[in-house]
Formats: sequence, C-alpha cells, structure tokens
Amino acid sequence: MIDIRKLKELVRLMVANELTELDLRDTEEQVTLRRDSQSAGAGAAEGSVGSGTAGSRPVAVAEGGPRSAEGGGEEGLLRVESPMVGTFYSAANPDALPYVHAGTAVGPETVVCMIEAMKIFNEIKAECSGTIERVLVKNGDAVEFGQAIFLVKPS
Amino acid sequence: MFLRILIANRGEIALRIIRAARELGVQTVCVYSQADKDGPWLEYADEKICIGPGAAAESYLRVDRIISAAEIAQVDAIHPGYGFLAENAHFAEICRECKIEFIGPSPEAMGLLGDKIVCRKMAREASTPVFPGSEGAVEDEEEAIEVGRRIGYPLMVKASGGGGGRGMRLVRDEALLSGALLAARQEAQASFGNGAVYMEKFLEGGRHVEVQVLGDKHGHAIHLYDRDCTSQRRHQKLVEESPAPRVEGEKRNAVARSAAELIRRAKYAGAATVEFMMDGDQNFYMLEVNTRVQVEHPVTEMVTGVDIVKATIQIAAGEPLAWRQRDVKLRGHAIECRLNAEDPDQGFVPRPGTIDRFRLPGGPGVRVDTHVRRGYRIPAMYDSLIGKLIVWGATREEAIAKMRCALEELDLGTIRSTIPFHRRLMRSREFIEAELDIHCIERMYGEKGAFPS
Repeated sequence: MIDIRKLKELVRLMVANELTELDLRDTEEQVTLRRDSQSAGAGAAEGSVGSGTAGSRPVAVAEGGPRSAEGGGEEGLLRVESPMVGTFYSAANPDALPYVHAGTAVGPETVVCMIEAMKIFNEIKAECSGTIERVLVKNGDAVEFGQAIFLVKPS
Repeated sequence: MFLRILIANRGEIALRIIRAARELGVQTVCVYSQADKDGPWLEYADEKICIGPGAAAESYLRVDRIISAAEIAQVDAIHPGYGFLAENAHFAEICRECKIEFIGPSPEAMGLLGDKIVCRKMAREASTPVFPGSEGAVEDEEEAIEVGRRIGYPLMVKASGGGGGRGMRLVRDEALLSGALLAARQEAQASFGNGAVYMEKFLEGGRHVEVQVLGDKHGHAIHLYDRDCTSQRRHQKLVEESPAPRVEGEKRNAVARSAAELIRRAKYAGAATVEFMMDGDQNFYMLEVNTRVQVEHPVTEMVTGVDIVKATIQIAAGEPLAWRQRDVKLRGHAIECRLNAEDPDQGFVPRPGTIDRFRLPGGPGVRVDTHVRRGYRIPAMYDSLIGKLIVWGATREEAIAKMRCALEELDLGTIRSTIPFHRRLMRSREFIEAELDIHCIERMYGEKGAFPS
C-alpha cells in the first residue's frame, strides 16, 4: 500500500512544478496522478493505485456542478453555472411562469431554466439542494460557459 | 465586408486575426477557454465569450459551443486560424448550414485537397510536380510490388486521409512491402476511418520548400512565392525564410505557378500552402496541401507586402483578389524564428512557466507576433508557441545580421525557450551558408543534449 505521506509529497511536487501528470512504477506498485492544471489553488489531484499492471485507467476530472461562491456578498452561497453557450430563458415558453424565482426551493433534479443553442432548448438542472437566493441573468440574456446564473442558499 | 466576426482560436494567431479584422473595420468576438481567461489577446477583441474548460476537446474543438457563441454574438463569419478546427470540413459545413461564413475554403475544396490521392491526381493535371508513385489507391499486394519496381526504393506507403505522420510507413526493401501495406492500412482505418493507401518514392534528406497561394471566390488564384522551412526537428518547424535560398529563378517561378494552378482548379477560396520537398538538383515534389493560414505566414508578408490574414477575410467576404500575379514582387529576404516555451537542451521538452521579464526588439524590419506580456503564465495544455520573431533585410546576409541583433535584444526572462537555440543557429555555418537539409537540426543537436559549441 502506497504511503499516504509519499502521495502527499508527490502531489506537492506536482503542483510546485506545474505538472499535469505523474506516472511512477516499479516491479510492485504503480502510481498515476493526474491534475486539472487550470484549477484554482492546490489543484484537483486524483490518484489511482494499482499493482503491477501496465497502463492506468483514465481518471475523469469532475467538471461543472455548483461551486461555492467567493466574495461580493456571496459567501456561503452556491453558484449554478451555465454548462453551455446560449440564450437564457427563465420559463418553458413566453406564456409560462418562470421555473424558479428568489425563494424557490430546489433539489438536484429541479429544472431552473432553459438555455437555447442552435434552436435546441436545454433544460438546466440545479444539481444542488437549497433555495434560490438570486437570479443573476434576465430572460433572453446571452450566457457563456461557466457563467453564474443563479445563487443558491444551500440547505 | 462583414460587420462582425468570431475568432475560434487563441494566442498569437487570435491576436493576429483581431488586428487584421480591426484594420478592415470589422468588430471582433473571441471565444476562450477557462484556462485562457487571462489571455492578453482577449483585451484586443470587442467581445469575448467563454466556451468551456481548458481542455481543447471541451472548448476550442467544441463545434456546438462555438456555433452557439457565433449565434448569440450575431457574427457574420468565423475565422478558425490554424490548428483546432481550421481544416475540419465538418465544421465548415456546419457554418454554411447555419448561414455563418467560414473564413477559409469551402468544405468541397477542403475535401478535394485534403484527400491525398485526389490531390495528387489534380496536381498532375495542373503540372504541379509530384513524387513518382502509384496512380491512385493501391488495391492489392500485386499492384504494390509492381509500383515498387517501377519507382524504386526507398518508398512511402501513405494514407489518403492522413496527416500528422500517421498512416505512413517507410519501406526500404520489397520484402518488407506487404507488411508495411497492411500496417499502414490498419492505422489509416483506425485513425481516419479510411483505409485507402497510395505509394510514393521517398526522398532522403532534401529541403522543405512550400508555396503560399491565395484564391478568391471569383476563380482567381495567385502565388506569393515560396518559403524554406527546412530547419525542423521531428517535423516541427523552428525557422522559416523567404525566398528559399539558392533556388534558380525560373524553377522557383515554375513551381509557384503550378501551385497557384492547382488551387485554381480546386476552386479554392482563401489562403493555402502547397508543400514540396526539393532535392539536390532543385527538383520539386509535392508533399501535401495545407488548407489554412500557416504559422509562418509573416515571412511571406514581409517579402511581398501582402497582408495574408486580411486577405483571408476579404476573400471570404466575396472580394476579388486585389493583385494580379504580375503585381506580386519579391523584395528582400525575411526570416522567422519560432519562440517556443521548450528546453532545447532537453530534447525541446515543453516547459510552461511565467514570463518574468519582457523586452522586445524593435527598429526597421523587425516584427514580433506574440500574445504574451510580462507576468503572463504560459498554460501547459496548449502548444508551446509563445511568439514569432520575424526580420526583413535587403539581402539574406542583412536579414541574418538583423535577426542576431534582434535575438540579443529579446528577453523573456527565466523561462526555458528556443531563444538560445536560435542564437546559436544564426551563427552556425550550416544556416549562414544555407547548407541545410531536413535532418540538419537533429544532426547538429543530437536527439537530446546541448548544441555542440
């Protein structure tokens, strides 16, 4: 079993040298560490440990999902970010009521808005639990990838 | 002329395109990945739109997000630059379907010239010199052996849908032919979904000389003469110059004219480069056609006075070429050194880092195309090109002297880069006397390790 202190040291070395991948093997063990190099702070390092087998399994880097908001009166709130580029619509159609507004309780599967791209309408889900604190964009606004569209107070 | 265009690229070429567009009075929208959110070039654009996380496959290669960005920004056209989606006929097709102009050739022209077997056939019809080789696809072993006996060894078995060195096999002896044929076919099928292969005579050594061409939507095509890109390491260009030294005038003109004719026949609108190998007797043999603007376009701009990137936008907007062939004259000599964040003493391994000092050379005939500035952190996930240093001199000797001075003035701080390599190359006998061949850099350098002093 790989010493956890060794693993921590390897991660520290990776970050310090701006490496995105480290693959170490000997006759008994193999360690592969892969990090998403543009993550803020220490970087999201993930490890896979195997023994004696050649070739490591690819590790999926988790993307998207609500992130903790920082600063600007947003402490403790989660950001729901747009997973695509397109036009934001607050309701299913012009005659319908908006999916959510400030105060609406949401769960991971709650549809919070539609984003339209290339004439295709995509339902966007909250992917978190809590109540809508603030809606950050207006109906019909263009949104880019990663743009914060809702602030959610986690429950 | 377009009102607004979207630039589907990053780094130095994004900045280059933004500048060309602005000169034409066209507004610019630049897409970027989260890894490029601090990209200095973004400040030059009128608008910027984030299209994904750092990984190119999730951002700069995401056709859907780029098209969405084009729609929300209401642009008239998309400039793909080089790399990424620049030679992606599927992307060009989608642009057309979405009524967005693709600043480049039509999917049909791209498809014709991108299919190496078709391109070879068209080249022969245009009198563009090609390697001796098979008529078309090689169907079976019997045919392969017959071709091999006709053209001689060594020869290359190449994939028709290929590129990037894949789906190719060098064969030195008839006994190894059938194995190579099978391997090339399998690799081609796996990499490109197209197992068609053909055969060509292989030239040992030689020089890489390419011709820049421009075609418009009205059936005109011209050449902008040639570039010599022989200074390469593992098929990566490091230094380019124009015109190619020690080439007889009439031979230069003939091959350049044939390249323009090939483009014209393909009904190609945009900028393209026809690549050749040149042997010791100044015979040219076509390698392939690149259906995009190339990294080294500045050297041609310096010796002909033609702004190639502006021309791509004008051509896409439907304007006829502003020059007839006889208007294009070669003047002086230009050299470009690619500045890569790589360590030349460690096999040119990429070394991302931060630009902690920044001083650019200047003066007459000195041009720097770069997106970096002091404090810029070079991301690890894209190519290592951080800029290009280009000089122009009245003669090749003057250009070399100017490049030496410019390289001395250039300071990008403590990062490992190809600057020391270029400084040494510009003092080497091989470069000064233009006695280069494509294996030259590897011989001078060895695979790893320092340049011998």
